Amino acid sequence: MSKDAVYKTQHDAQQDAKDTAQNQVSAKKAGAKRTRIGVKRWITPFFKQYRGSLALALFLGVLTFVFAAALMFSSGYLISKAAEAPDNIMVIFLPVALVRIFGVGKPLLHYLERLVSHDWILRMTSKMRLGLYTVLEKDAIFFKKRYKTGDILGLLAEDIGHIQNLYLRSIFPTIVAWALYVLVIIALGFFSLWFALYMALLLAVIVFLVPLVSVLINGARQTRRKVMKNDLYEQVTDNVLGVNDWIVSGRSSEYVQAYQGSEKALRKVDSLLNTSTRRRDLILQVLFACVIISLLLWAGEEFGGSRAGIANWIAAFVLGFFPLIDAFAPLSAASIETNKYRDSIDRLGDLPSNNINEELFQGALQAPFVIECKQASFMFHDGINNVLDELDLTIQAGEKLAVLGRSGSGKSTLATLLRGDLTPTKGSITLNGIDSSKLGDSISDYVGVIQQQTYLFNTTLAENLRIGNSSATDEELWDALEQVGLSYLVNRLPDGLDTLVDEAGLRFSGGERHRIALARVLLHKVPIVILDEPTVGLDPVTEQALLNTFFTTMKDKTIIMITHHLQGVSCMDKVIFIEDGKLTLSGSPEELAKTNPFYQRLQAFDRGEY
Amino acid sequence: MLDKALFELPGIKRILIALAVFAAFEALVILGLAWGLSSAVTNLWLGHPTTEQLLWIVLFFLSFVGIQIVRYAKDKMLDTYAFERADELRQDLMHSIFSRGSSLVQEQGSGTTTTLLLEGIEQVEIYLRLVLSKMVRLFVIPFFLLIPIFILDWVSGIIMLLIFPFVILYMVILGRFAGEKATKQHKEFKRLANHFVDTLRGIDTLKFFGLSKKQGDSIYAVSERYRGATIKTLRVAILSSSVLDLFATLSVAAVAIMLGLRLLDESIILFPALTVLILAPEYFKTIREFAADFHASLDGKNSLASIQKILLKTEESEDASVDALLNDSRHLLWSESSELAVNDLSYLYDEFEAVSKVSFAVLGPVKVGIIGASGAGKSSLIHLLGGFSLASEGSICINNTELTGANREEWQQQLAYLPQNPYIFHATLSENISFYHPGATEEEVLQAAQVVGLQDLIDELPEGLNTKIGEGARPLSGGQAQRVALARICLDKKRSVLLFDEPTAHLDIETELELKQKMLPLMQDKLVLFATHRLHWMHDMDLIIVLDEGRIVESGTLEELQKSSSTFASFVSKLGGGAA
Repeated sequence: MSKDAVYKTQHDAQQDAKDTAQNQVSAKKAGAKRTRIGVKRWITPFFKQYRGSLALALFLGVLTFVFAAALMFSSGYLISKAAEAPDNIMVIFLPVALVRIFGVGKPLLHYLERLVSHDWILRMTSKMRLGLYTVLEKDAIFFKKRYKTGDILGLLAEDIGHIQNLYLRSIFPTIVAWALYVLVIIALGFFSLWFALYMALLLAVIVFLVPLVSVLINGARQTRRKVMKNDLYEQVTDNVLGVNDWIVSGRSSEYVQAYQGSEKALRKVDSLLNTSTRRRDLILQVLFACVIISLLLWAGEEFGGSRAGIANWIAAFVLGFFPLIDAFAPLSAASIETNKYRDSIDRLGDLPSNNINEELFQGALQAPFVIECKQASFMFHDGINNVLDELDLTIQAGEKLAVLGRSGSGKSTLATLLRGDLTPTKGSITLNGIDSSKLGDSISDYVGVIQQQTYLFNTTLAENLRIGNSSATDEELWDALEQVGLSYLVNRLPDGLDTLVDEAGLRFSGGERHRIALARVLLHKVPIVILDEPTVGLDPVTEQALLNTFFTTMKDKTIIMITHHLQGVSCMDKVIFIEDGKLTLSGSPEELAKTNPFYQRLQAFDRGEY
Repeated sequence: MLDKALFELPGIKRILIALAVFAAFEALVILGLAWGLSSAVTNLWLGHPTTEQLLWIVLFFLSFVGIQIVRYAKDKMLDTYAFERADELRQDLMHSIFSRGSSLVQEQGSGTTTTLLLEGIEQVEIYLRLVLSKMVRLFVIPFFLLIPIFILDWVSGIIMLLIFPFVILYMVILGRFAGEKATKQHKEFKRLANHFVDTLRGIDTLKFFGLSKKQGDSIYAVSERYRGATIKTLRVAILSSSVLDLFATLSVAAVAIMLGLRLLDESIILFPALTVLILAPEYFKTIREFAADFHASLDGKNSLASIQKILLKTEESEDASVDALLNDSRHLLWSESSELAVNDLSYLYDEFEAVSKVSFAVLGPVKVGIIGASGAGKSSLIHLLGGFSLASEGSICINNTELTGANREEWQQQLAYLPQNPYIFHATLSENISFYHPGATEEEVLQAAQVVGLQDLIDELPEGLNTKIGEGARPLSGGQAQRVALARICLDKKRSVLLFDEPTAHLDIETELELKQKMLPLMQDKLVLFATHRLHWMHDMDLIIVLDEGRIVESGTLEELQKSSSTFASFVSKLGGGAA
């Protein structure tokens, strides 16, 4: 049986590969369009920025190769001239001087070129980062939720790094090589129009045809490789996470074999790619040999025939071309490499474009703060069912409300709607009569949030706390820490408030992180706080202690606690249950405990009496 | 720059010798190239007709193309060799992962393990392809080129020979000091770049505090400030490679000028001078190539080191368990009359005793509840009991036979394991359910699914049991995932030992209630080892073990524990208002 299963997995993998190949064909057009959008948003606009230093970088890039070629050119001329054994040493004075200039100048130019191009790239990076941040900021709350798995934000940040490489390793060298191509042709044109034309064709094969053909041949292979590698990544991540299950099932060897099968398939593609790269290099070498021989024959005809004199140019022309090989040879590899960056461009291109700003409510709201949901419904754009369905709810100032429900019941969406990060599809959600979505960023003056995972920025504890209130004094920070029960712990830290939160070994535990989040909210002085399942994953003792802290420090505030079990619920004024977007149960905990059988059953279960 | 680990690879001697031969060949064709070309040019310079140069041109052509042919053959050989070595490493690493299980994954982090397996090995492969050839070429090609240069013109030979040790010395200094500095600066640069990612990751927190718009300006400002810092770093980093560049071009220029001056006084003629001038760049090229791809080599070197460290550790743990092989593993079979005895069990994790001197014994199908706060060592104990990690001290005995690395497979065959987040593989629902028992018929699978309450999910899925689920396909909720894991247990009735590691901790209370009703019947007549902090389960346990900081502080039945003024009681009372 196990053998069958292995074959099946391998067969599946092949089938999957076939499917993806077919899908690729049909998706190719859509893909190309996607990439075009990405390029339009993230590549071309940046060429227009800092044109001066961009032009300088490219100019220096071209000049570097010109100097390299000139060094060999003048060296060839120098020794030919010197071989005439002229009586006057002054005859070779100029070539000697040129050799010196070019010899020193080439590395210097190369150095400058790299500095200028990196400087330009880094300027662009700042702009691109700002661009990326602005796009993400619009949608900040959602973005993270939509891509729950995987570190999409880290990925996007890396994508910008990839685009840097695209410029440095593909775009710049290609432009430089093209410019050199034009220069070589023009230079030869001064001597012979026909020979320049001939060389234009021959070099075009190297500069345009070979890269184009290798992209055509290997582009698809490389895409296939990328797909296979991604699949393998998913597969391996999957199975490494489930490694205990494999071990317990006694089927690990089966998986190991299947994995080796996938690796072999990948190796096949790799072999094809490597072989074709080697062949391409061989073909290029033959072409370069042809170029040099052509130069030799042409120079022999043009300048030869008699001893020395103008024949001194022969060595110059032939040797002068050698350094240019370094400019032309990497072109094919560079153009294939663009394939690698396509994903990054696509991913960035897929980001939502900046949407139009709505008209926001300007002005300040006055206490008491009352939240009202009237017939509020919400549906995601791609959804079929309402996540929230005609919800009516009023939350008075200072009220403590617990929102219970299964995962996926819509209780988290309710939190997002209350803060105005989403707008109800139907009905309204208002804070003191103003639609919460119309409040824009000023909602943060009224509503604070403590999330399931508290994010701490990789800076000092003080800086993390000051996110709540940037002008808070140290005393105020200590006061907040005292309230949330962390002052003892922070006092013991050698650097106190200046401790870097992520420094090795000093990581805060889940409970402590939530306390820091609470301190931030206290510093922020908001009247309403949403607790979005803040105790998931904590053990009950830690959880209860944390909840006690929440309730004592925020007894004057409105608290909306979203939770999935009963711990802490008895301290609340009101409990509501949401199921399938509808309010199914509502009342004070005491009332429900007396009269509602469902609630009684849950309570009994929680106590272990069921 | 030399890596000792390289010389321990199998077949390395053969490959190094082959590379040396290839390099010698390459030097030879380079020589042919220079000879052919400078003969042709010299003859033309002397006024001979172009048509007479055919022989020299053919020599040049063959040599020039020959260089690439030699490289072709060499690359092909290296490609195969590097792949074979990488493949061996991959197999060994896979073996390690699947024999040491989650303890290894935990130690390394699941991301690192995956990355090491997929990226790390690829980096090693690239490293082998790059570094071996570069190393050999550095010592062979310049040497082979110097001989003819000395014969043709000993003055140039001396110039080039003298520069060689300078360049090597420079590279050593670069490796020692500049390399160190560059690495430090590289780290700094990374730390600075992380600011951006950090801000992105916390973007919702910023938004909650109304700071997100303002932060945009700071991102730009910080990024620009980092540009200044980075450019400073680059000035040094780029300079080091530019100095090599300078060495090479200046040497060529120096050779050219020396040749020119000596041609003037006719102490040399054009042919040798030209040949030397063609050979000079080739001579320096090998040296410059050696310094290139520094970072790719570094990555490969580091990956090789970390993989070998893991392999070494696996070997050690396997060696330790070899002598236990003599034990008859049949004793590990669990039956109604079997005994499980845990004696002074300890487990070190990062120098810290996650489990410390734990002892207890049970006979037959008993339900053992293991409770304690987070970090009390519940999960570590479950991992030890499942044989996923091996004890640092003490032992676990089943029917008086010690559980070891060698016989744990027998024990694991009888286990069913239900962690907090059971892993759902990217496969069909049916394949996921029949994971322990791939031979199950469709009816059996369906029946098991129904028993644990998966019918609703099956109805919801477009292709029922044959719908792909898991990451990247249709994700399951926590409750659904637990049900799938339960169905696995339900399907394979042979498994008589159940290991539960907080299976309901993160579920909502309604789902937990439903699941409990499904789980209780499955636990009948089985040995159950149940770690949890949800106290309601304790009513169904025969024995309760209370852990604190890795030690057993109390154990007994629920009645016994409730009676005493125990840790258990204080644990319960700390929960205060809400529960229990």
